Amino acid sequence: MLEKILTDKFRKLLRTVLEDIQNQQDRRDEEEFAKDEERIKKDLLDTVESYPADIVLDEDFLVAAVDGSGTENFGMLDDIRIHLLSTATVILDTNTQKGSPFSIMERAAMEAELGEQPHLDMHWHSSVRHDAKNKMAESLANIYPNKDPTDFVMHFFRDELGPQIKSFSDLDSTDFARHKSKLENMVSLISRAGYLTNPVVHDELRKVSEYAAIRKILTSQFEPKYILIDGAMSVFMHYVLKYPSMPGGFMLRELCSLARNKGVILCAVSKNHTIPFAHRIANMAADMFGAEAKWFCLLPSKNDSNGGLHIYTDRTYIPPRLAVPYLFSFSRDNRPSRIDFDRIWWLKNIFVRGDPVTTRANEKQLFRDLEFMSRDARWYGYPVALALAHEACKLSYEDLGLAREVYRDILRASNQDPRRAVPLREDYNL
Amino acid sequence: MMFNKDNLGELFGKVGVGNQTNLEIMGSNRDISVGEIFMITSTRDGHERVFFFRVLGLQNYLRQVDDMSRVASTLMVEGDAYLSGIERNMLLDVQGRMLGYAECIDNKWVFRSPRRLPDHLASVYRPKRGISDSIVSTMLESQTSGEMYVGDLQVGEATLDVPVMIPSKFLPMHVGIFGSTGSGKSNLMMVLIKSLIDTNIEANTNPDGEVLRISAFCIDPHDEFAKGVDKYGIHHIVEAMSPTLRSEVLGNFYYLTTHLRATPRDVKKYAKEIRVKWNEIQPRDLYSITEFTPQMNSFIDAMYAAKNEDWIAEILEMEDEPEGMSTPKGTMSAVQRRLRFLKRSPIFIKDGTSILDDIYEAMETGRILVVNTSLMSDTEQFLLTTVVTRTLSDMRRAVKSSGNLGDFEKQGQMRLPKSFFSRVKKMARSFYGRGGVSDSTEVKNPRNLPVIQITVEEAPSILNPELMKGRSVFKDISRQGRKFNIGLLVVSQQVSVLDNVILSQMNTEINLRMGNEREIRACIDNASVNISGFENEFRVMARGEALLTASYRELPLPVKIPLFDTIFERDKDKYKSKKSSKKREKHIL
Repeated sequence: MLEKILTDKFRKLLRTVLEDIQNQQDRRDEEEFAKDEERIKKDLLDTVESYPADIVLDEDFLVAAVDGSGTENFGMLDDIRIHLLSTATVILDTNTQKGSPFSIMERAAMEAELGEQPHLDMHWHSSVRHDAKNKMAESLANIYPNKDPTDFVMHFFRDELGPQIKSFSDLDSTDFARHKSKLENMVSLISRAGYLTNPVVHDELRKVSEYAAIRKILTSQFEPKYILIDGAMSVFMHYVLKYPSMPGGFMLRELCSLARNKGVILCAVSKNHTIPFAHRIANMAADMFGAEAKWFCLLPSKNDSNGGLHIYTDRTYIPPRLAVPYLFSFSRDNRPSRIDFDRIWWLKNIFVRGDPVTTRANEKQLFRDLEFMSRDARWYGYPVALALAHEACKLSYEDLGLAREVYRDILRASNQDPRRAVPLREDYNL
Repeated sequence: MMFNKDNLGELFGKVGVGNQTNLEIMGSNRDISVGEIFMITSTRDGHERVFFFRVLGLQNYLRQVDDMSRVASTLMVEGDAYLSGIERNMLLDVQGRMLGYAECIDNKWVFRSPRRLPDHLASVYRPKRGISDSIVSTMLESQTSGEMYVGDLQVGEATLDVPVMIPSKFLPMHVGIFGSTGSGKSNLMMVLIKSLIDTNIEANTNPDGEVLRISAFCIDPHDEFAKGVDKYGIHHIVEAMSPTLRSEVLGNFYYLTTHLRATPRDVKKYAKEIRVKWNEIQPRDLYSITEFTPQMNSFIDAMYAAKNEDWIAEILEMEDEPEGMSTPKGTMSAVQRRLRFLKRSPIFIKDGTSILDDIYEAMETGRILVVNTSLMSDTEQFLLTTVVTRTLSDMRRAVKSSGNLGDFEKQGQMRLPKSFFSRVKKMARSFYGRGGVSDSTEVKNPRNLPVIQITVEEAPSILNPELMKGRSVFKDISRQGRKFNIGLLVVSQQVSVLDNVILSQMNTEINLRMGNEREIRACIDNASVNISGFENEFRVMARGEALLTASYRELPLPVKIPLFDTIFERDKDKYKSKKSSKKREKHIL
């Protein structure tokens, strides 16, 4: 293969593809972006006025973060795949009054409230018809602390339709009445059943496992000011049913609701995102504020005044349903990241109708806090709590190797062939 | 578990990677120094063991950070950066050598060379003075016990209350003290002399005990042992003793000097002047300290054969080449030139009273002599050491070759200068006879006589390969000294220039700070146990720190030699309170 890759022919092929993208996609996006440029500069982009290094906050606060890791391919037994999930919670105290910023909460105190850290879970399903769906529902029900779907689905409908939806029976008077029976149990909440491949199942389980950890924080005695989660606040909607196609979507809305009630700011941070022209927005910020400036940029939705940006008109997943995304950069060395907030919270706490100045002031205060929590020298520009949660939950190659060794030991102890734990192709060194 | 882990010290870390020789430990972020010793507990296969590990290298380690330089540069560039909860992630990556392991067999701790590996992720303890002393002392008893105190077990920059001793039975297998100028050799010598005196007091107090008296002929090239370098010296020990104890342990003198009149008044009471008669010098004494041409050797040998012990006087007084000599013309003048220093020397005399009898008596009765050679030339000092060494070894050799005292006298007359032997033979019979002095009295085994330790200062001058090739007295002593209970205490700033015969026969080395890489390498190569990898240790050694290696021990022992003043201050009251053997007997009666 190498001899092919290193040829001019391969280079030429790659160059052609890039030119193709340039001609078709970039050119069209460029035109769309040109329409947004002025608005971004004038209304959406602004600097972060950071706290001084030696700031002593009047009130120190807690920041919690949750991250998850895992593999859908921990082990195989014929057509069965065993999934391994790990989820970690980290709670930090800004601790400026004691002069040691962002101290980590003692593990014992945290585990007493939130359970063992990091938390490990497993899941399996076979290729038998409906098994993926049923087993996934079973695992989701096990993982998520709120076992009553009629309770946690309500939050989505309340956020979507308005505060008049107070109970499950209130759906009777809505277009969703005909789907009520599908909303009563975990299995029927999985309406994207046709696509339940192992990666899809794994992603959903991992997300819900993280949501479960967040829910534990929200129902614990801890009162963090912020809870950070890795990823976006995306909710995949069912095209026909008009509600989330996976239980996780409903759960996220429950978390948003619980956070609002408890006065917690829930943020979803994506290092990897697909916001188009983020690099151009970053260049724009550098031109406007200087290369060293820390900045943020609102990505408005079609429901905001002046509507959404042209650049993502046809990219329906931006902004996500019931979420408000921003781009931000707190470090000159890194490319911009994305952060999502609950739109209902944002409308109530950040946005002030008809008062863009106060809205901007609220945004600046929000990003001031976020920037302050992103100054750890190891991951400068990225929220330290999330970085620590990531470090705590990640399953390294060595970790997985050892875990698989244990798996083989167990097979051996139960008089099974330990080779069942490894893919068949390994027998041929492939 | 045979012991309480809490007594091992502070839990420091966990074993990472490594093998039975070199290990890497991941430990907490403590102020560790190169040279510290850690203990690692292990129960592999149900065998409880405590491994000893010595730190040879350190590296800061930050968990979750692959690129320390990037973090450091971020801290520099971004003035507002912090490190959240970094304390718990700050670790020390400690590399070092396995020294061996202790295991309890039949309720006795034995120590073994590093031939096993501790458990995976075994716990590592850092010994602490006041907590770990007792358990370390017990585990390392086989490695640290003995009669001659050298210093305390050093763990990094601190010490444990674990005295490191050399067994007196190994002194005849020769001891080397190696260190550059300022490394603490003089203080070490004073500490050793004090230790020998303490041992002799102990032997004197318990004459029926197992402790044998030790004799030492200690060359003091800078005249600093008696009065000390700072506040106290050996003389203060002497003065601190009761007259009876002093007389029993040190006799009526301990200090030898070239010029009695120049000796301080308080020391003069216990001093004698060094005088050795020409007729007590044998040709091989001279062959041992300087090179002669084969012709000169032939000439001297011929003269010695003809004139016996008067050979020096005869040669020095000759005016013409003697008749019948096969040596070329001019040889006599050349030999005369070589021997002329004896004429000028105040200590080597043609007529008068020799000190050799007193030295002999002192050495055979387990006494310590401090020999001030500060006013001697190098040649005089080397010749004195040689004559004393050869005389003592010839006397012991005569005993070893005899069945009874009658045989001994014949052997002595054959081997030793007549005038000397005739003066000491009566005394010798009392030392060597087994409960009698008659001809038929069986002689003692020299191994039951006091150990005699002879200092060879500036050793490269006489223990170099050129001199040791010939008929050096020291070649015999280095090979056979153990048979006669005579050992050399070789003091040198260099190891690389010493002859291999003496180095290979040396079983105990006290390695102090060395001056350069070549000598460090030579120390490592010469050590009786494998200390390869200790180069960095030598480079950071401070004054008074040493690495003691011995062929009869598996563990290279880091030792901190205390200041003589400190241990004298600590012990001075003991000398007053120590009872002499006579008092003890009286008490029993």
